[in-house]
Amino acid sequence: MDIGIIIAGLLTLAIYTFLYRDNPIYRAAEHWLIGLTIGYAMVVFWQTTLVDLLILPLFAGGKYILVVPLILGLLMFSRFSGRFSWLSRLPIAFMIGTGAGVAIPAMLYARTLKQLSSSVAPLIAEDGGFNIEVVVVAVGLLTTLAYFYFSREHKGAMGKMAKVGTYFLMIFFGATFGYTVMSRMSTFIGRIDFLLTDFLRLLG
Amino acid sequence: MSKLSTRWIIYAGLAAVVILAYITSIQLDTRPSPQVQKAYNYFENLPESTIIMISFDHEASSLPEIQPITLAILRHAFRRNLRIIGLSLFAEGTAIGYRFMTRVAEEFGKEYGRDYVFLGFKPQHISAILGMGESIIRVFPEDYLGYPADSLPLMRQVYNYNEIEMVISIADGDRGIQWIEYAGAGYNQSIMCGLTAAMVTSYDPYIASGQLYCTVGGLAGAAEYENLFGKKGAGNRGLLAQSMAHIYVIILILIGNVVYFKSRRRRNSGP
Repeated sequence: MDIGIIIAGLLTLAIYTFLYRDNPIYRAAEHWLIGLTIGYAMVVFWQTTLVDLLILPLFAGGKYILVVPLILGLLMFSRFSGRFSWLSRLPIAFMIGTGAGVAIPAMLYARTLKQLSSSVAPLIAEDGGFNIEVVVVAVGLLTTLAYFYFSREHKGAMGKMAKVGTYFLMIFFGATFGYTVMSRMSTFIGRIDFLLTDFLRLLG
Repeated sequence: MSKLSTRWIIYAGLAAVVILAYITSIQLDTRPSPQVQKAYNYFENLPESTIIMISFDHEASSLPEIQPITLAILRHAFRRNLRIIGLSLFAEGTAIGYRFMTRVAEEFGKEYGRDYVFLGFKPQHISAILGMGESIIRVFPEDYLGYPADSLPLMRQVYNYNEIEMVISIADGDRGIQWIEYAGAGYNQSIMCGLTAAMVTSYDPYIASGQLYCTVGGLAGAAEYENLFGKKGAGNRGLLAQSMAHIYVIILILIGNVVYFKSRRRRNSGP
């Protein structure tokens, strides 16, 4: 049997010992997982970020403009110094500025404007039938917004709308929770599949 | 009954139900959902040699759901003789994505460089997505194996998203949404997603607004896709176990409620 499968099988069992109670075997497996994940990520980022995007182009390719991000990156370490920690604000300001500049238009369009425009649709479908979905979306949108509108007390018509909004929210949370349970169950099923098929070889 | 023994009974019951599902040969009759049918039809109607891009944007922990979805889509794409550019915007997905692609490519006798390539991982995913809208080779000058990208026949026919028919993000988080926001909105690129079940509701608004073509979600989506494709695999095996586990959980909820109401009535009628 492949040594990787044996290790994976033993580690899976070690993790499941937590079902009994917290114990050294579980903790060892957990620490191993965290260490491996961080180690793997560090190696990948070292190669794909520092080597590929900075060290090679700067020192072997002669792209001297890359001195600017190098200096900005090094300034981040000034946070360890009480006297010079203010210098770290420069790269942070640069990151926040560029990040916001790139993200705001894209997110505003995809998450707000497109969602708004798609919530306004004709009541009569192309085949001539009544489009009930549009009504459900409109009622759901308005009542959910009413629930999150806090500038007016939730009484009378406003209170009723907010109440209906909570039902829509509960349906959403229920669906999301149901899907999440499915996902977590799938993870367990995947491990059982691995243990039975690959580790113990009980199934073909 | 002590709390510990109750817990043990619940866990042991769940394990027994899942193991039982694996050793029985019951076949579930799953009908494809509209989303999965749409994904399947899309690949089925694409002309041969069309270039698609698959981005492996997930961690190893989501493999039980991600693997059957990925394998089903890859098998369908290779059977239809589509050409695939693979990449990853999530460090952990890199080696996994390469393994999946090479495994399925071998099944269908596909040649690396001509029928498929794997470009590897690129950090700063937003920059990478935006950069590929200008030039894919500029973002990935080398592939995962270290070959210059412009030495690969497939990559010589691709400049930017204009040559990519569809981007499929296999995601267990919100990377797919970033594909929609930056490649979809910015470059009018069609996006499809293979998702873990937990993420399905987060992506639904993008389908409703027409920004996302469709999704294949969770073990159920994988099983439906496998059935349409005609090759049952981990999706179908897992779906039976999942369905039985769900029934088990529902029974536990019912028992829990009965016990709760009985004990409340006993308390209220007590001295």
